[in-house]
Amino acid sequence: MKPKGPSKTVAVLFGGRSAEHEISVITALQMVQALDPFVYTLVPVYIHPSGKWYTGKALLDKRFYCKLEENLTKLQRVTLLPEPGQKGLLKVNKENCLIIEGLIAIDVFFLAFHGQYGEDGCIQGLLELADVAYTGSGVSSSSVAMNKYLCKGILQAHGIPVLPSVVVRRNQASKSFESAIQQVIHTQGLERFPLFVKPSHLGSSIGISSVTNEKELAAGLANVFRYDDEAIIEPCLMQLMEINVAVLEGDPPQASVVEIPIATAQSLTYEDKYLRGGKKSSNRLQGMASLTRVIDPEYISTDIKATVINYALKAFNLLGCAGVGRFDFMFDKQEGQLYFNELNPIPGSFSFYLWEKCNPPILYTQLIERLIDQAILRKTERLALQREIGFKALQV
Amino acid sequence: MEMIIPIFIVLWGSIVFTYKRMLRYLHFYQQEEYNSSRFLGWWWRCRAFDLKATSLLFLAGLFDSFTEAHIFTALSVALGLILFAWQESDPRVYGKLTLKMTERAKRILRVAWIISAVFALGLAVASIILDPLWLWLGLAGRFQIIPFILILSNGFLWWGERQRQDKFIQEAKNRLKEVSPFVIGITGSYGKTSTKDALGNILQVTLGPTFWPLKSINTIMGITKEIRLKLQEGTRFAVIEMGAYGRGSIQRLCDLTPPMAGIITGIGTAHLERFGTTDNIHAAKAELAQAIPIDGILVCNGDNPGARRIALENQKNTTLLYGLETSIGALDCWISFWKTTAKGTEFVLHWKGKEYSSFTPMFGRLALSNILAAFTLACSLGAQPDYVLAVIHTLTPVDNRLQLDKLGPITYFKDAYNSNPVGFCAALEVLQHYPGQRRIVMTPGMIELGSIQKEENEKVGRLAAQICDLVLVVGKTNREALVKGLQAGGLKPEQLFVCDTRESALQQLTTLRREGDVILIENDLVDLYEAKGPF
Repeated sequence: MKPKGPSKTVAVLFGGRSAEHEISVITALQMVQALDPFVYTLVPVYIHPSGKWYTGKALLDKRFYCKLEENLTKLQRVTLLPEPGQKGLLKVNKENCLIIEGLIAIDVFFLAFHGQYGEDGCIQGLLELADVAYTGSGVSSSSVAMNKYLCKGILQAHGIPVLPSVVVRRNQASKSFESAIQQVIHTQGLERFPLFVKPSHLGSSIGISSVTNEKELAAGLANVFRYDDEAIIEPCLMQLMEINVAVLEGDPPQASVVEIPIATAQSLTYEDKYLRGGKKSSNRLQGMASLTRVIDPEYISTDIKATVINYALKAFNLLGCAGVGRFDFMFDKQEGQLYFNELNPIPGSFSFYLWEKCNPPILYTQLIERLIDQAILRKTERLALQREIGFKALQV
Repeated sequence: MEMIIPIFIVLWGSIVFTYKRMLRYLHFYQQEEYNSSRFLGWWWRCRAFDLKATSLLFLAGLFDSFTEAHIFTALSVALGLILFAWQESDPRVYGKLTLKMTERAKRILRVAWIISAVFALGLAVASIILDPLWLWLGLAGRFQIIPFILILSNGFLWWGERQRQDKFIQEAKNRLKEVSPFVIGITGSYGKTSTKDALGNILQVTLGPTFWPLKSINTIMGITKEIRLKLQEGTRFAVIEMGAYGRGSIQRLCDLTPPMAGIITGIGTAHLERFGTTDNIHAAKAELAQAIPIDGILVCNGDNPGARRIALENQKNTTLLYGLETSIGALDCWISFWKTTAKGTEFVLHWKGKEYSSFTPMFGRLALSNILAAFTLACSLGAQPDYVLAVIHTLTPVDNRLQLDKLGPITYFKDAYNSNPVGFCAALEVLQHYPGQRRIVMTPGMIELGSIQKEENEKVGRLAAQICDLVLVVGKTNREALVKGLQAGGLKPEQLFVCDTRESALQQLTTLRREGDVILIENDLVDLYEAKGPF
């Protein structure tokens, strides 16, 4: 039980300028339903695709987003200054002026973003500058996690197996598209089709395609460059089983049960992840929880499960993650080999459906409470760091 | 004085009913882009007169003059009007294009309210001083003239509206000057939106930040708004769709966004009604070519005699022709072979002495022509051909333009946007070649074709009869011509279904369809042309 005291004000930040904006809204609205109203005062903060921040109770209604532009007038614009000592969010008026005495006090910033700017260290950087408590991983682990190529490289160097891959940058393709393609097919381990083409910095399967010939590879690259300036290409496993596991920050960090997402096509598409299950008309939000999946199946040997969990915990520590991270692995059924695929520093729905199935189970409400407590703890720990700033060099 | 209480009661009902009615008429006024004569044309053509309230008030007048039970009559009328208002659908929610409550719409409504209120006040006074009959019959009259009240209101606002528009246009011009992207104009009787979308996507990926207004925005005010709100610093290219609504309209658009390059997708008979003659259409589209400077780029559809003529008459340093028909004359970029597959179209393209075999998930002759236009322009701007083709491989059709939709074992093609003869025939061609068993078409035919509308609908009817196993004719506008063509083409009576509304046609379709069917939904008419709900 929580000690009775003044309730903490939690700002839930969501939306943002990423292609996964909508998914973030779903994650946030779902999370808000699980937030204990007796313990926390909620301040929803929505970052519009334009990048402007808004707050208001209207944000909690799913229907609000159907007529977004019209409804924006119902909200209060807010902002966060990038300097320490701020007690929360500042109100902004239509003319981009701060409103005097327009402070909304915030104790903890709860991040419910997916994708660029929200999951990759950008917003974390702002929150660090403002010196406030926020949930989840910090700047460096977030940014490494959201760069698939870098992340794989670091983990590989520490003995976690990954598939061979190559990166093609947008400006490289703009110079010579043909040579970019040649570079891919001459990379060791990528000589044979089918290959997998995906954006380096995005999650949620946006811009991903599996390609079976050179022409499709070209199309796959072009498709990635709509969304990202970097494409990563890997072999496409023919007999593939995806295995995911979540890890929760703590002393020591704790792993959840594993899940096997079930896809209709060869790999998960955006529609698979977010649009299936859950009728449009239904008021319940599904998001990542709507995916067809098998949780902790018996047909996977305890060995594999143990290896997955082992790798995930190792990677979580190595990268210095915080909050909840979901580690996605691929199991090559032909070769019997396990590969690390990617890390989601803010997984869809915070993987609550995995934590609920743990022994003992961690309910969504408890999970949120733990994330908030840890955020506050980390902020206090930062206080213990010495900051010496002097002007010795300038005083001649 | 005995009329004061009844007036008070009736006014309540009247306010509720007038509100709903104004919205409904405004809905159509808006779809006619606040063009009063077109709006009145619609009102007259569709006989969109008030029946419900007028009949009620006439009955009330009759009853009241015999019984003089003013309060009872007033109560019944008020209740009746509220009931009618409640029954009317809200155009802000229902309809294919809902009523958008823009600032302009709100202003028109506000002034219309004031005019209505003054009118009602006059009636009230007249009924007190002269005869109670003034109230009943006068109100009926006022319900009849709601469209005119809206027009009057719009007229009052004209000057202010003009000032506001000029200010916005100037803002957009300034913004464009600041950012100074390379502007590409696109016009033609068909394929503008798809070409714009393809070119926008291609340039964005291959050459750099590109701005293109969404959907089929192609009017001065639409483009102005997009530029003011969305044109960002550093944008290198702007692709602008230019709609021609008469001579001079493209010139005005070129004045707003002076083009350095342009595409003319083809000149056909679309919107003939608005232009009057085909010569006018030609002159209107040529305005784009004339606006491009001599060192600019002009890309024209070589398959289309009109577009070819414009290219010939307006030579620039770079003038290029594209097409699918090499027999008409020389082409700079052409497709020599194409094949409809289950997933899209495979094709072989020729450009600068090289041959490229490629694929697009889009369907039909028209889509290929649009892609070619975009390819030609992008490559003439320096994009790498294989990169451009890679983007083309990933394009998806703009909403409802021969869009493939698989519903289990049934294939749908939705081609539901301002159909014209060229587009209709291209869609039928895809229907013919797409792998499947029975071929079905559901269509209300084509509109806005002026004097040739009957003839053209008959023609497509004949063609459809040769390709389709079943045909569903929707609505009444073109029923006669379509049925005539279909019968002439040899369609048997049991293969033909005639439906009054889109809803009943869809209902019919669900009972008819079966595994393996390929269904083409050709053209969805805007609310203006569809059976309107009773007024």
